Amino acid sequence: MAAARTAIPDLPKLGLGLGLRSVHFDTILGEGAGDLWFEAISENFMDSGGRPRAVIRAVAERYPVVLHGVSLSIGSSDPLNRDYLQRLKRLADEIRPAWISDHLCWTGINGLNSHDLLPMPLTEESLSHVTARVNEAQDLLERPLILENPSSYVRFVQSTMDEPEFLRRLADETGCGLLLDVNNVYVSCFNAGTDPAAYIRAFPCDRVVQMHLAGHQHHGTHVIDTHDRPVRPEVWNLFALGWALTGGAATLLEWDDRIPSFAECRAELMKAERYMHARSGAAPAGPEEAAAADGVSNPVGFLVPRVMDSVALEGA
Amino acid sequence: MSGEPALAAAQRWLHDALVFPRRADRSGIGDRLVGSGRLSGAEGLALYQRGYFLRIASCMREQFPALCHALDKALFDDFVADYIRERPPESHTLYDLGRRFPDWLEENRPDRDFAPARRELWIDFMIDLARFERLVFAMFDAPGHEGSAFADAATPDCRLRLQPAFALGAYRFPVAAYYHAVRLGGPAPLPPARESFVALVRTDYMTRTIALSEGHYIFLKAMAGGRGVEEGIAAVARGLAMSADEVRRSWRAAGAERQRWIDWRFFIACD
Repeated sequence: MAAARTAIPDLPKLGLGLGLRSVHFDTILGEGAGDLWFEAISENFMDSGGRPRAVIRAVAERYPVVLHGVSLSIGSSDPLNRDYLQRLKRLADEIRPAWISDHLCWTGINGLNSHDLLPMPLTEESLSHVTARVNEAQDLLERPLILENPSSYVRFVQSTMDEPEFLRRLADETGCGLLLDVNNVYVSCFNAGTDPAAYIRAFPCDRVVQMHLAGHQHHGTHVIDTHDRPVRPEVWNLFALGWALTGGAATLLEWDDRIPSFAECRAELMKAERYMHARSGAAPAGPEEAAAADGVSNPVGFLVPRVMDSVALEGA
Repeated sequence: MSGEPALAAAQRWLHDALVFPRRADRSGIGDRLVGSGRLSGAEGLALYQRGYFLRIASCMREQFPALCHALDKALFDDFVADYIRERPPESHTLYDLGRRFPDWLEENRPDRDFAPARRELWIDFMIDLARFERLVFAMFDAPGHEGSAFADAATPDCRLRLQPAFALGAYRFPVAAYYHAVRLGGPAPLPPARESFVALVRTDYMTRTIALSEGHYIFLKAMAGGRGVEEGIAAVARGLAMSADEVRRSWRAAGAERQRWIDWRFFIACD
């Protein structure tokens, strides 16, 4: 799709941004957020008739916004959900995001949704399947899709290529852009016993329009992509490498569980400035926070509002 | 499955292993997944299986906080585990997770084959509380009327219609009072059976719950079906064996329901 392919280099370099979380709505709209930009989870806003829709309209009027989905299920063997894409397009037409992203994953089959970002067998069959679906989604959305490398805990026996190669060929075939999540790189590579820096060097960084940062839990034998704590030094080092190789792609911090105040999230994000001009190996090793027994990969609890906080009892 | 593409077969296998972990074909893990120096295929799969349940259970607890309080977290989570095994999530939105939960609880109550009089009251309470909480949760993000004009005291009856973010519930227990007791963090003993009627209305993105009499409920139920004030008055007259004039006088009396409900923004003015 030539139009999408030529659009990627024109996408803006947004600088530093934060995930738009409901616990921060009042602070962002009340006190302001300076020169940050925000990434909104598409599914939290595309069906909303309540406050979330009003908030994202207000945020998009004041700050650059991108939409980040978790249920497109671009890799599923189910038919592409065109109703979902039409809802997403309506939201995009309304708030005019800088881009729309999702994950190289599938979330379910047979009409079911696991609400997890499940890994793909990386095969020629999968590449052909996903290529066709990315083209279809881009045609429907009338813009390039940006796809993220997921965190993963298993690899399929049948895989015949690694993830950077898969994503490079996908981007070449479809013109889609890429979102390089350096925490996901660390998690997947640690769990697979491979080198995360080599992964990033092999990644098609010329197609990257955005990077993700996040914290993870270390469980000794494995790490879990929990988004519930500060970014680890190893991940900052990967960020420094990614920043250099992508030429300064828009960078966003995801903090999705045990979410601290907006000021604390912003302070964590601003640490990125220290690594923008440093190469791998610059970050000092820090103390390891204890892993929680209930730590879960890709937490979604933050996507469900605390409705009790917006309910009042009125007299009869 | 013979002839099934490899991608579809791999996805069907992994999805079944998540949703139905007890019947997962563990002997086939080595044929599907590669181990690494750190995690075997089975250990990696177990992380996905554990994450699938924990992720959904945390969302269900947010959608049914009072029910979770009433049942206690461990029992609530047990119900959720059974629920998502029998009714796996279908929608792209997590907001839909609890939609079928009240009906599922009703269909799976252990005393469902008994006559109503012999059924356990506490189970009735839990099911009613689940229905109420689902209503409250759905109201949060339902289409509303914020930013537009509501009816006022001068709006004639013939133009009054219920606003879109409005819902009604009828229960066998005072579930709204229990919900608010949990919300406020005070003592929340399980209440005795007592019929209750509740209106939910959202204005300025705040949902208010309002206790109703049976007559109020009948009136508003008629209006919730898209009908106007006169049809509501007629429904109350039929339901409570009153004359329509008597109901109409009550409706229009100074300080009565008409003014209070307009103040609480139950109504918009239709053209």
